[in-house]
Amino acid sequence: MSVIQELIQTLPSGSVIADTEQCAPYECDGLSAYRQKPLAVVLPNNVEEVQTALQICKKHKTPVITRGSGTGLAGGALPLSEGIVLGLSKMNRILHIDPLARTAVLQPGVRNISVTQAVEPYGLYYAPDPSSQVACSIGGNVAENSGGVHCLKYGLTVHNVLSITVVNMEGDILVLDEKDDGIDLLALLNGSEGLLGVIVEVKVKLLPKPDTAQLVMAGFDSVSACADAVTSVLERGIIPAGLEMMDKFSIKAAEEYAQVGYPLDAEALLLCEVDGSFDQVKVDTQRIAKILERSGATTIKVSQNEAERIALWQGRKNAFPAVGRFSPDYYCMDGTIPRKRLAFVLEQIEKLSQKYQLEVANVFHAGDGNLHPLILYDANKPGELEQTEKFGAEILKLCLDVGGTITGEHGVGVEKLDSMCHQFATPELEIFHAIKAVFDDTELMNPGKAVPTLHRCAEVGQMHVHNNQLPFPELERF
Amino acid sequence: MSDSFSNQLSDQIKQAATEKRTLQITGNKTKVPQVSGIEEISLSENSGIVAYEPSELVITVKSGTKLTDLKAALAEHNQMLGFEPPDYGGSTIGGTYACALTGPSRPFRGVLRDFVLGTKMIDGRGQQLTFGGQMIKNVAGYDVSRMMAGSKGSMAVITELSLKVIPLVEEVTYCKEMPEDEAIVLMNKMAGTTLPLSGCAYYNGLFYYRVFGEHAEQDAMQCDNDIWLTLNPFQPKLEAGQKLWRVDTEGPAPSIPNTIAVGMCGQRRWVISDEAPAPYSTLWQSYFAPRHNDPDAISKIKAGLKQVFDPYNVFKPL
Repeated sequence: MSVIQELIQTLPSGSVIADTEQCAPYECDGLSAYRQKPLAVVLPNNVEEVQTALQICKKHKTPVITRGSGTGLAGGALPLSEGIVLGLSKMNRILHIDPLARTAVLQPGVRNISVTQAVEPYGLYYAPDPSSQVACSIGGNVAENSGGVHCLKYGLTVHNVLSITVVNMEGDILVLDEKDDGIDLLALLNGSEGLLGVIVEVKVKLLPKPDTAQLVMAGFDSVSACADAVTSVLERGIIPAGLEMMDKFSIKAAEEYAQVGYPLDAEALLLCEVDGSFDQVKVDTQRIAKILERSGATTIKVSQNEAERIALWQGRKNAFPAVGRFSPDYYCMDGTIPRKRLAFVLEQIEKLSQKYQLEVANVFHAGDGNLHPLILYDANKPGELEQTEKFGAEILKLCLDVGGTITGEHGVGVEKLDSMCHQFATPELEIFHAIKAVFDDTELMNPGKAVPTLHRCAEVGQMHVHNNQLPFPELERF
Repeated sequence: MSDSFSNQLSDQIKQAATEKRTLQITGNKTKVPQVSGIEEISLSENSGIVAYEPSELVITVKSGTKLTDLKAALAEHNQMLGFEPPDYGGSTIGGTYACALTGPSRPFRGVLRDFVLGTKMIDGRGQQLTFGGQMIKNVAGYDVSRMMAGSKGSMAVITELSLKVIPLVEEVTYCKEMPEDEAIVLMNKMAGTTLPLSGCAYYNGLFYYRVFGEHAEQDAMQCDNDIWLTLNPFQPKLEAGQKLWRVDTEGPAPSIPNTIAVGMCGQRRWVISDEAPAPYSTLWQSYFAPRHNDPDAISKIKAGLKQVFDPYNVFKPL
């Protein structure tokens, strides 16, 4: 009996999709440049069915690609032709809310935003807010250790998850809890990109909803002045809830798209939001406005009410589609850099943009150094996607050169496998493979993702930059 | 990271692995007594700040750095550690990390590993390894840096740590007399409001809470901030034969009989009892001894990971 036959025979009807046409929606995730139809899609209704599916796949040595909502941007849920996709979208119930303990227990398919919606009546919310929060699932958030615009103050997913239940390839159920003694397996599973286990339940921390939030928008006549202003805010002990920067191209695109009153003459725009109690927000807003003024802001606007605050965010929140209007396709990068190197990095990206003859817009989570360059290209022009990918890889290398990392929140997936060869040396990569083998010695869980093989790195064979120690530090790289 | 200290440690570990000897990793020995007759890897001299950029909110330190020195360096720039580690008198950051110790601010700011951004370590083969980095956001590769928090010297020698730091805040402590069960409910109710809390505890008949930043006048007595040092580290005088348990639980969980202190907004209870009083109980007197109370599937994984980092069992058992 084939694996598909056994899955169909064992699982309830409607849980297995084997028809090629019906599998089509699962052939890619948010990184749509990569597509592959899977052998079949399994949509379990409960934990027992997840266990059964995994046991059958193990018996047939069939790879399993776990998928939440498929919004990931790094191809982590890209199917394999000989593998099944294990979609957890049917397991989408909120199992328990404890308002006094400020926790919620969720099935993995629960959408991120629906957690906040469900706990709102208690004056609580779930803090991590990836931009895909209306669609992305909590299980996927854990697998990717997703971020969002409020990470600096409220942390990533790993900081907001208290416990998870995981099924491994054997069908064993593992409960990993923050209260566990010894090595921190819960932390290890966060961001493990579906390589170590299938997350079937998540308990999250809920926070009291702030009384209010206020936004300060400031324009600057240079990127470095804007970056320095961010430094000044943080140095003075204020941790804003959101701290976003946009370059000239992004400002222009966002303003044309959303018409929110962004200063078109500015070279860089800063959006700085504080939240909390009424008293604290009032004090912080005044301090921030003063700091930004002293840092040489050319324009400053403080939101006077909730409608104004939301309106000012509209430009930033729509920056991607706004930039997208200028080009048939765009490619979003996710490097992270020390903030003090921002001006340098943007300058170098501009040089690369000229080298590749591809335009680029930059939006930046300035508080935590997470840069999202958007490279504009046309997939229909022969060779342009390849050029874009090369450009992207050079940006990631640049991030490493200044002491940063190749991915702040999107994950490695299939997209950044080559860049991983630059970030990690052989012993670390060997350790990663060995960790995977401890959880999944059959190499059936999302094989080939997140960690490159040593063979691949040897073939990539490019300069290895480790710890920002270039082999020839005296040489100028640009 | 091939500095001479690390190279020397690598050699020592390789030698021990070849000769099938075990090594014990020590810091300033403020928490774990040294076992006699086992060669030591001492990290107490491996101290100092490697890099500190206050505006990046990140500090990189050698593992033998004393908490007092680390805190003083941060305070100079109006910053502090977010996880409020207990200091047993000269405790090092490496030992604190190895034991995954977090103080009263845990429910509000998070646990130690939440602040770990990167580590340098030497495994049981003598390999010098780097995981994570200095970035607040970094999802490249498995998060080994955070996983190792709590490894208690069983997996690798930690030589360097990069930590996220937070602005130093002024804190005020208030207290109120009330029964324990009422205090447990009240502290959890308060934690669900926007009052900027950084500590909630119950000790000797008093409910204590700590507030920072702008806040309304409180209907409670203002009292000394030292209460948080009494509870962190909590070192009560015990009578001979008494067993002290650290119990981690849900914040609002009902009172446990024979509790002598409630910390971390109810998430931590200190209980005197002959038997484990609840799930997630740790006999505090033997916190640092090897334990085998995980479910089988998890024990198997932990043992497997131990093999990955320490295949020759140079370091102490899990």
